[in-house]
Amino acid sequence: MSSLPVLPVRRVALPAALFLLLFGLVLGLPEGRAVSAQQKSSDAAFEAQRRAADPSAPGPVQPIPFSHALHAGTYQIPCLYCHTGTDRSRMAGVPSVEVCMGCHAQFGGDLEGVKLLKQYWENKKPIEWVQIHRLPEHVKFRHNRHIQAGVACDTCHGPVERLDKLYLVPDTKWVNLMNADKLKMGWCLTCHWQNNVSVDCLTCHY
Amino acid sequence: MPELDRREFLKLVGVGAGAAAAAGCSERVEHLIPYVVQPEVMTPGIAIYYASTCRECPAACGLHVRTREGRPVKLEGNPEHPVSKGSLCARGQVSIGRTYHPDRYTTPMSRGADGKLAPVSWEEAIRTLADKLRQGAAGAALLGGDPGPTASQVLDRWVAAVGASGRVVYEPFAQESLREAVKTLFGVESEPVFDLSQADLVLSFGSDFMETGPSPNEHMRQLAEARDVRAKEHGGARFVYLGPRLSMTASNADEWIPSKPGTEGILALAVLRAAMDSGLTADRTALGGLLDGVDAARAAARTGVDAKTIQRLGAAVARAKSLVALPPTAGLSSRRASATAAAVLLLDHAAGAVARTVLLPAETERTKRPSYHELLALVDAMKSGKVSVLLVHDANPVHSMPPGTGFREALAKVPFLVSFAPIKDETSEQAHLVLPDLTPLESWGDASPRPGVRSLLQPTIRPLYGTRAMVDVLLEAGRSLGDEVAAKLPPGNMRSILETAWAGEDFRKALARGGSFAASLPTHEHVALSSAVAKLEVSEPLLEGEGDYVLLAHPSPLLGDGRSAALPWMQEVPDPVTKVTWNSWVELSHATARRLGVEIGDVLALKTAAGTLEVQAFPRGGIRDDVVAVAVGQGHTVGWYASHEMEGRPGEARGVNVIAALPAAVDEAGGRAWFTTKVQLAKTGRSEPFAVSQTQDNQRDRSIGAALPLAALAAGAAAPAEAVPAAPEHGARGGEESAYQEEIHVPFDPVLDAAQNSPYRWGMTIDVDRCTGCSACVAACYIENNSPIVGEDQVRWGRLMAWLRIERWVGDGVVEDIPGWPRERNHEELGKVDIRHTPMMCQQCGAAPCEPVCPVFATYHNPEGLNGMVYNRCIGTRYCSNNCPYKVRRFNWYDFSLENWPKPLHLMLNPDVTVRAQGVMEKCTYCTQRIEIARQPAKDQKRLIRDGEVITACAQACPTQAITFGNLKDPESNVSKKRQEPVRGYVALQGLNTRPATLYLAKVVRGPVEG
Repeated sequence: MSSLPVLPVRRVALPAALFLLLFGLVLGLPEGRAVSAQQKSSDAAFEAQRRAADPSAPGPVQPIPFSHALHAGTYQIPCLYCHTGTDRSRMAGVPSVEVCMGCHAQFGGDLEGVKLLKQYWENKKPIEWVQIHRLPEHVKFRHNRHIQAGVACDTCHGPVERLDKLYLVPDTKWVNLMNADKLKMGWCLTCHWQNNVSVDCLTCHY
Repeated sequence: MPELDRREFLKLVGVGAGAAAAAGCSERVEHLIPYVVQPEVMTPGIAIYYASTCRECPAACGLHVRTREGRPVKLEGNPEHPVSKGSLCARGQVSIGRTYHPDRYTTPMSRGADGKLAPVSWEEAIRTLADKLRQGAAGAALLGGDPGPTASQVLDRWVAAVGASGRVVYEPFAQESLREAVKTLFGVESEPVFDLSQADLVLSFGSDFMETGPSPNEHMRQLAEARDVRAKEHGGARFVYLGPRLSMTASNADEWIPSKPGTEGILALAVLRAAMDSGLTADRTALGGLLDGVDAARAAARTGVDAKTIQRLGAAVARAKSLVALPPTAGLSSRRASATAAAVLLLDHAAGAVARTVLLPAETERTKRPSYHELLALVDAMKSGKVSVLLVHDANPVHSMPPGTGFREALAKVPFLVSFAPIKDETSEQAHLVLPDLTPLESWGDASPRPGVRSLLQPTIRPLYGTRAMVDVLLEAGRSLGDEVAAKLPPGNMRSILETAWAGEDFRKALARGGSFAASLPTHEHVALSSAVAKLEVSEPLLEGEGDYVLLAHPSPLLGDGRSAALPWMQEVPDPVTKVTWNSWVELSHATARRLGVEIGDVLALKTAAGTLEVQAFPRGGIRDDVVAVAVGQGHTVGWYASHEMEGRPGEARGVNVIAALPAAVDEAGGRAWFTTKVQLAKTGRSEPFAVSQTQDNQRDRSIGAALPLAALAAGAAAPAEAVPAAPEHGARGGEESAYQEEIHVPFDPVLDAAQNSPYRWGMTIDVDRCTGCSACVAACYIENNSPIVGEDQVRWGRLMAWLRIERWVGDGVVEDIPGWPRERNHEELGKVDIRHTPMMCQQCGAAPCEPVCPVFATYHNPEGLNGMVYNRCIGTRYCSNNCPYKVRRFNWYDFSLENWPKPLHLMLNPDVTVRAQGVMEKCTYCTQRIEIARQPAKDQKRLIRDGEVITACAQACPTQAITFGNLKDPESNVSKKRQEPVRGYVALQGLNTRPATLYLAKVVRGPVEG
């Protein structure tokens, strides 16, 4: 989403505000309309979902047509709200089905994707997402170090907040007259050189 | 057709290979599979530790189980646990493999009409068991190891509730003789606990306390404490080993007295007499006439120890302020074991050790103890057809019972055998019904190795398969017999019963801590000698059979009673004494070998009173001429690794089971006797090479395993200590003339080998004086670093993949080969002990010979002083290995990890360490993954990594803390402080000027005890 480092306050405040807003709408409106508001998702949501499922768009088709643009862009949910632990662990936390259901138990039930999600939840089956950002083998990448250093998520993951369907947004840097594609070693190193951080082999390879 | 020249051909091949590679590069689709419900405490990528208890031997060491994403990946010692205090032996380290073992039963199995075991459902299996019990519970009997106090009580109640005939606890190495000896001497029921930490003289009367016995890890630590050359004056405690064989324990002694096996009791009384003659004040009248007629000269003739030595030992005992004399362990327990143990404990008593260093715990809880006598009675009942259902758990009696007991024949008469074995073994393969138990890492349970120590087991993984806890299965079967039975059984399951048993204490706190530990051991403070002492019959062992030699069947420090043979690491980690892997061997003296005309690897036929064994010979100097020794534990016919199934020869025994050649003998109290038979040796003419990790014990006067006399240490201590350990003048051997005298020795500071702006220079200090050779570090390294198992054939080829090995050197060695002696000759000598166990791993050289020869920069020097190894760069030229003087680099000739690790063993791989592929070089990294893990909180908090935050796997495992790791740039770090020893410090192969980061501290030769 934003190119600024994600601040801890925003991590909590935004989703809380968002939740209160939606919840407040539901409570504040007459009952009949509240139900319909809960049932009827916005056209933007349907549109985002359609685009996320579009097989002609770049990127693999995912088991659920999840739109990052809708969640991270329109609704401004911070990355770490769902991808918890990314600031503490080597691994990026892919949200559990329970995290999705935390919101979608309440709304979005008319969306095809949420219906699929509820099936996973009822069957207690994990969602097998197709991996998009895959580092080469033998790299021990540490998410937490990069988050702590203030590297924005979109530096490596692209403008996720604008993508309905996720794909590896290409990027190429030129290193010693050779092109280094995104998520390849030369690409990592350009950034490490620019920021004067460790380029010791053992930092990533062991 | 145009001629294709070589250059053109290579070009074409290159293009073809490139095209093939490009075609193979199409991205594999990988999936991200998150949790459905992520447990609150869990963050993927961050390890969670649980406290539990090791059940690999009765010592019950405390564990910290490191789990990642719900899977245990490494076992470490629990520092709070009073038994192990943070260390964990080799067997404990690899016991993690039980959970992921390919031989596990995944479901209950029932023997069908075709005679084969076939999977059945739990409902059906429990119904079958209940039906059998309904038909005649009076014919049912339980047989098994000690499942812990709580489970024991449940089993006892179960036996009473269903009306079964009884329960027998079976532990092959249980030393009932010790308990009997205490009863004879002092009239109390107690199993002695030896505390070596405060001793100043340790006499081991054939006790291999570092390998077997009540608590090997604890005793190693205590002895190291007592012999700490820095903390104690004059080198600390002296350790004398009296026994026929230079065992691993003996190799750590100051003096080895090769006494005649089985005469330890006679020797102990003679030493006691000599001590009294030297002024030991002891109440002679209490002994009655026991010492009448005991004198050094007479004892000398019977024990093979000369009178002067006995008198010298006596004088040392009289002078000692704090003596510990240890009675023989299982290997030397003869048919006179109780009297022998009593004689040794009598020496302890006379020297005032009882209640000070030899503690007699006051036992309050009475759980059933191992009883060989009861077991033999059960075998008799089985023979006479009185046992209709036999339930076996935590034991493999088909393998570990001597044939003379008729156990196999008796088993054939049992119409229904039920096994609870989680991993298939010889006994379970004969069962009619297998009800697989959970492994210790999946179980609830407890253990109490001695009064005051209550240790807990908690599950660290959801059961991998649909197997169930034995206690729960028995309870369910019992309850299905009717309400009357159910009323007599405890309610709930193992988990709730355990919590009830701990009702008096904070269960959750105990779980976090690993148990509840009393501050001190409740002991019998004042014990008086009973009048029965006078009637003690201390005599020679009664040996069966014919022959010029006696057979010593000793417990193996790695295989135990054979239960660890199923774990591949215990097969591949070399035996600490002979360095043999994956096989059995018979140790015999050089003189015996010459007489028979056999060399190393020649197959000998051993004929005893009970049977014949064919086993390869291992001639060595460290054994008496009249003794041959075979380790217990091998000879399994069932098991992927334990038998030859892995090599495609299922059913074929790996090595020999020496128990098959032992007579069924018992000691005076009915306990099991192991040292019981004479043996005849015959050459078979066949020969088979051993797979050994070290072919010679001659270090050719190079400083690899160095030693220096105590006097040199004392002289050096007076001199001012240098701030940085410089290279000592010619090793640490005190300027002895040698061929290496002329080499260049440049004093160096390893700190300079790290980048100037780096706050770290990682380094290690290895105290050879503390290393016992136990190989816990080797096993820990295997598990931590995903090192593959290669198998016997590959070990023969020299392709062992261990990053860390323990080299065993005998003295300084000789530079010139002795004419007529093979190079591989074992250089030990009878009655001499100068063994240097030297852990050898990558020395992280500052001027590493491996680095400049790598054509692709796969190995290089890192700013923190580490010798980095980048697997993905390596193209496998092996130049580095050829240029490494320490020979610590390992090459992946195959994808060993894929080929030799059948599923589900791959689940225990450490996710923090790369699994190396074929064609790649690898070596010790100083556990760089642990450095990286420790770096995270340090960087988050904007500080440096603190001392003690990085502990390498080897240092963590070490029971004697011989290995210290840390930052050399920090003068206050433990590792830097340990280096402040200008006299003992040396680097391996000093003359090569490789500037290693590992500093060794020389062994201290304390010499024989003075008279």
